[in-house]
Amino acid sequence: MPDLSRGPSTPSAAPPDSDAEPIVVPNDFWSSSNPAAYGGGRPPSITHLHELEADGIQGDNGRWGRLDVIPARSDILLDLLRVNSLWPLLSGLACCAIEMMSAATSVNDMDRFSMFPFRASPRQSDVLIVAGTLTTKMAGPLLRLWEEMPEPKWCVAMGDCTVSGGRYKRSYSVVQGIDRIMPVDVYVPGCPPRPEGLIYGMMKLQQLIVARRGRWAERAVGPRPPRKWDGMNESGGEPGHEPEWSPVSGGAR
Amino acid sequence: MTATGPRRGGQSETAGWADDPGISVERPATIWDAVPPISPRSEREAEFYSLEDGEMLLNLGPQHPSTHGVLRVVAKIRGETVVDLDPVIGYLHRGVEKICEQSDYHMCLSQVDPLDYISALHNEWAPVMAFEKLFDVRVPRRAEFIRVLVAELNRIYSHNLYMGWLALDIGGLTPVLYSFIERDEIVEMLAALTGQRILFNYFRVGGVNWDLNPEFLSRLADWMSHALAQVEANTTLINENEILVKRTKGLGVIDGKTALALNMTGPNLRATGVPFDVRRAHPFSIYPELEFDVPVREEGDTYARYLVRVDEIKQSIRIIDQVINEMPDGPVMAKMPWKITPRPGRAWAAIESPRGLYGCYAMSDGTNRPYRMRIHDPSFNNLQSLQPLSENVMIQDAIAVLASLDPVMGGVDK
Ligand code: SF4
Repeated sequence: MPDLSRGPSTPSAAPPDSDAEPIVVPNDFWSSSNPAAYGGGRPPSITHLHELEADGIQGDNGRWGRLDVIPARSDILLDLLRVNSLWPLLSGLACCAIEMMSAATSVNDMDRFSMFPFRASPRQSDVLIVAGTLTTKMAGPLLRLWEEMPEPKWCVAMGDCTVSGGRYKRSYSVVQGIDRIMPVDVYVPGCPPRPEGLIYGMMKLQQLIVARRGRWAERAVGPRPPRKWDGMNESGGEPGHEPEWSPVSGGAR
Repeated sequence: MTATGPRRGGQSETAGWADDPGISVERPATIWDAVPPISPRSEREAEFYSLEDGEMLLNLGPQHPSTHGVLRVVAKIRGETVVDLDPVIGYLHRGVEKICEQSDYHMCLSQVDPLDYISALHNEWAPVMAFEKLFDVRVPRRAEFIRVLVAELNRIYSHNLYMGWLALDIGGLTPVLYSFIERDEIVEMLAALTGQRILFNYFRVGGVNWDLNPEFLSRLADWMSHALAQVEANTTLINENEILVKRTKGLGVIDGKTALALNMTGPNLRATGVPFDVRRAHPFSIYPELEFDVPVREEGDTYARYLVRVDEIKQSIRIIDQVINEMPDGPVMAKMPWKITPRPGRAWAAIESPRGLYGCYAMSDGTNRPYRMRIHDPSFNNLQSLQPLSENVMIQDAIAVLASLDPVMGGVDK
């Protein structure tokens, strides 16, 4: 009987810095035709990824045992899962939403690229595809939707209106680009983009998720209004300036 | 089991946290947070937002899959029955009319496209007719034929999407997949002609932008060969579905007189027995020469509104058939000088869009920009009838009524 007087999840061993016991799965169903290969069948001396990396040898010598241990980093696995099940939020604002629906239905079928179900609830979705014109009246509700989505989450700006204001650059009631109120990961320009364009943007997002691995903490999650920087002149900026937060490199520099 | 560990359940140390005066607990978000803290602006508002016993307010939207865009509906409900209902609009107000006043006449035509974004060609047609009156231009006959051809194609795909969405809001996913197949076929055809899939921007003052091209014609012939059969197949999915028919029959009944008083137009009006169709009542373009019926139903319920649209698809196919056969040769653009300014004056033009009477009122002061341009969109007037139609129905039936009215929020909010 386990000792219940202890807290539910106090680990028994190990000060936090030392390595945990390796999980060694004995390999008894396969052996190499060359008995000297893979260290001659000795038990592995390197059992942890950081030991392997510290070794500096990535060739054959870096291998060990007989495929006894598969080192993997959990974030690699998690990214694999995230990339292959992107659940977009079903929130159409205007004309672009029709093309978004077209991308999701039979002819263009986004499901093939593992962007599967359009969820109606922000609590269950990973990607916010802002499809359509964002007006000042709608900005509050949209921001609230974005904040209701659990991390990790991504935002795709679909259409010229959301990228920069587009054809409503002169309008008094349109937010001139949604990156004024929230972080954006992928911009899909076009008025409207074809469904293929949206699917391409979503595939770029999949690459981006992998490329940004391990830097989650640096990513902006909340509204990021444009700020004045030193040396910004009156007419609006200076060539060659790098913004503080860049969607491509991911995270603040 | 020892008695020394923390006790689970019952009175743990944190049980009384809600009573602790040191911890402030915010009251949960209610609909009152969404209502601006101002005194009611009208009697109607005061009446709507004062609740009787057993009533509550339920907020729907602006992000909701079945509000057809960014409509917000505040419903006053008792149990599951809608007692009263208040649509809140303006979430897609983009200031198109004001932009048009600052653009010259042909730039306006590209700006009006995204209004009623499922029938972009009709959006262009009314302003283009109003501007032609101002400019005093006569459109070549071939251009009129092409306009009717593409506009009817647009009507068909709009009604197709309507069929899919009506079923989707009632709970059937399949029809929307089929209607998008049909829709994609038609918009690809129009894209071959105009270069765009939604906002075609094809009409010009004095004609259309390009003549028909072989790719468009071959796609059109392909589609025409199975168009009627496809309509039959799509409607079978809905007409023979007992659940859908039972839920829509007798739901949201409105009679012709009330509908006229609410200024409803289009298929919603024709479903109540009033045979008002702008194509027949105030003939424009080449419609007087064409043979087609105006489908009318007497019941005025949700199912009738759906059936009228199905009949309209068939009539549109009939029109397209005639137009292709009688298409004359000739130019597609009137001879106009490069720089032309209209006389000062006013013009009104109205056409029959898939949602009803779509009009444009343009005022010219003699410069190259309209002094004032006003768009009359049928969705706005049709949406007014949502409140009388969904009194004393269940919440999910109110959704079906909303879907059957087919409002497009881009047109409502402009
Ligand atoms: S980018 Fe174009 S198609 Fe998309 S919402 Fe804006 S106006 Fe409509």
